[in-house]
Amino acid sequence: MSEHSALVASMSSHARELQKLSGPGVDSWKNRRHLLDTKDLSTDELQTLVRAATICKEMMHSGEGPQPLLTSRTIANLFYENSTRTRSSFELAAKRLGATVINLDIASSSVAKGETIVDTGRTLAAMAVDAFVQRHNCSGSAMQIARELGDRVHIINAGDGWNGHPTQALLDYFTMLEVRGSVKGAKIAIVGDITHSRVARSNMWLLTKMGADVHIAGPPTLVPPELSSLGVTVHNKLEPAIEGASFIIVLRLQLERQKQGLIPSIGEYRRVYRMDHARLKLAAEGAKVMHPGPMNRDLEITHALADDAEKSLVLTQVGNGVAVRMAVLYLLLAR
Amino acid sequence: MSDKILIKSGLILDPATNTEQRSDIRIAGGEIVERGSELNANAEEQVIDADGSWISCGFIDIHTHLRDLGQKDKEDIHTGTKAAAAGGFTTVVSMANTDPVIDNGMTFSMYLQKIAERAVIEVLPVAAVTKGLAGQELTNMVELSEMGAIAFSDDGKPIQNMTVLRRALEYARLTGKLIISHAEDLDLSEGGSMHECALSTELGLQGITYASETVAVARELEIVRLTQAPYHFTHISCASSLDLIRRAKVEGLPVTVDVTPHHLALTAEEVAEYNTNAKMNPPLRSGRDRSELINAIKDGTITAIGTDHAPHTKLEKSRPFVEAPFGITGLETAFSVVYEALVVQNYISILELIKLLTIGPARILDLPVPSLHMGSPANLCIIDPRIQWTYESAKGQSKSTNSPWDHKKLHGKVTCTIYKGQIVYRSEPISV
Ligand SMILES: [Zn+2]
Repeated sequence: MSEHSALVASMSSHARELQKLSGPGVDSWKNRRHLLDTKDLSTDELQTLVRAATICKEMMHSGEGPQPLLTSRTIANLFYENSTRTRSSFELAAKRLGATVINLDIASSSVAKGETIVDTGRTLAAMAVDAFVQRHNCSGSAMQIARELGDRVHIINAGDGWNGHPTQALLDYFTMLEVRGSVKGAKIAIVGDITHSRVARSNMWLLTKMGADVHIAGPPTLVPPELSSLGVTVHNKLEPAIEGASFIIVLRLQLERQKQGLIPSIGEYRRVYRMDHARLKLAAEGAKVMHPGPMNRDLEITHALADDAEKSLVLTQVGNGVAVRMAVLYLLLAR
Repeated sequence: MSDKILIKSGLILDPATNTEQRSDIRIAGGEIVERGSELNANAEEQVIDADGSWISCGFIDIHTHLRDLGQKDKEDIHTGTKAAAAGGFTTVVSMANTDPVIDNGMTFSMYLQKIAERAVIEVLPVAAVTKGLAGQELTNMVELSEMGAIAFSDDGKPIQNMTVLRRALEYARLTGKLIISHAEDLDLSEGGSMHECALSTELGLQGITYASETVAVARELEIVRLTQAPYHFTHISCASSLDLIRRAKVEGLPVTVDVTPHHLALTAEEVAEYNTNAKMNPPLRSGRDRSELINAIKDGTITAIGTDHAPHTKLEKSRPFVEAPFGITGLETAFSVVYEALVVQNYISILELIKLLTIGPARILDLPVPSLHMGSPANLCIIDPRIQWTYESAKGQSKSTNSPWDHKKLHGKVTCTIYKGQIVYRSEPISV
């Protein structure tokens, strides 16, 4: 047996299924170098991503070990800002596909020495790393690194400032599709601190593109100007946004917003925006609550609602996160 | 180098008399010694053929950051003035937010010394209004004025306390010098990195509301009304600020305004791909603001163009957009940019544009009105309106390359600049 056929023979049926994916969306992914945001994903690419993520999810639950799909690939997790959850999710995803992963938490080290993200990136690219999964606290940093080094490495944006967090939006979308086959025409509410939320932005791009009716609610001090220009409906109070909604994405409230004077108090925020069972009654029959995590329990969402397996998709989102990130890595990096 | 020059066949643009006249110009001893048609060259004269070109008095930039001292990595007085010369400027007003700040006699005399050593054109330095630009204690304005400060400004770190501004304007009666305002309410603009608009929302960037400028203009105008001291608003960017200043001028308050080439030519859309070379303060504004700036030039509210040339290193500008410093270079591209934005687009005539670059700033700064008559100092530039050229900042005179026009095609070019009878800039011949 040749080396190649030995590899194929050792693959699970799911892995082979992934390799057999075809269609225009697959070709677009093959031609794509980066995943910077959901803004520039085509509907074909989104459909392909969902198909691939479905297979990856089956792979995860079949009990099979890592598959040799990205064995020649090295992926660097470049986290300039701490996020154990997102980083672990990417790491698990990469390892399940047989890739080599290195983790760099550079929040404190080289940046403090005055090195720029381009310097750091260049160093890693010189070590023949194939892809960067980058998290950085500045909006636009993913696009910037792609502009400087994009011909040498694939860039996957794992969150840039307030701008984008495409894999979070993709996993949210995937999770919604598991509940109802399409988001077309569905009312979806995004609630909380919109200004500082990359999750909100990436979701708005994706969900409006897929025909959802997206409604926003948050303290007027935490909703950015001219938001409706992104094709969403903006409300001040929670109730009109969630009324008749099929999904409610509750965002995390950073406690520092109160110190910055953007909200008067945590109590006041709770009074107006906290999701609970009573408020959920305004939503559509069978409506689900989602949260990108980590949650401030009893601040933006009640304990009881967060843990209500009937109504909350929070844990499903976490599991789907790995499957969706596997799909992204596979589609971008498989040769 | 010969100090005898004969410029042949140029079209002389004289906004003082509102005339365009074809004439040869003979220069000797740093002055214009003869004008006329068909002047014959003497043996020792260098002849410049200006057929098809325009000749203007050297431009005056009312707002330049020449850096030097502790910021020589960004620019020094030599490279900065060479960049100015390449843009047709023979006079620049240099801002005081250097490192260290020009806020005392010792630093000021050191800066004068550097100017004497390094400048290729005239540099008129501004001194700070408050010590360390801290917005609290006034500098020794009389001493600095007597040493030669052209004006006073806390540009870069605007005075927020209106009592301090009031005292500065009252105290300025002792010097008769202008105070130049960078109008910005720092609380309203805090944390922002681009104009607040739909695009800032889309890009996830904190915006800088127009109100941060207009609020500052409004309160500063009241201090001008109170003190009746001459006051200059530099780099005004918003329509709403212009409305207030226009009304104040009608009322007779002693206020003047300049605008930058970039605010006249570009809008916030330039930031779209997190372009740090489109990040400056005040930020590029909306299309409506831009057209109101042009209207304010047409109605005479704005009487000068100032570049706000603000060099920063490549390293600084390669930081993420939010962290990159504010400011762009502008001296070398200024004429071409405003020529395209205002004259080619038919908003104003070339004579009106030249006025904004020469007589306009001279009047604001109370300088002698520049002219090209016999006996005038030979400070002039030659402009070829036919040249289309591509600006390559790396090949430019400035040490820094942070320009939104890098690699961009521009229209009309300064081909030669003469200061006190010496050629301080001559472009490579470019085929038309
Ligand atoms: Zn300024």
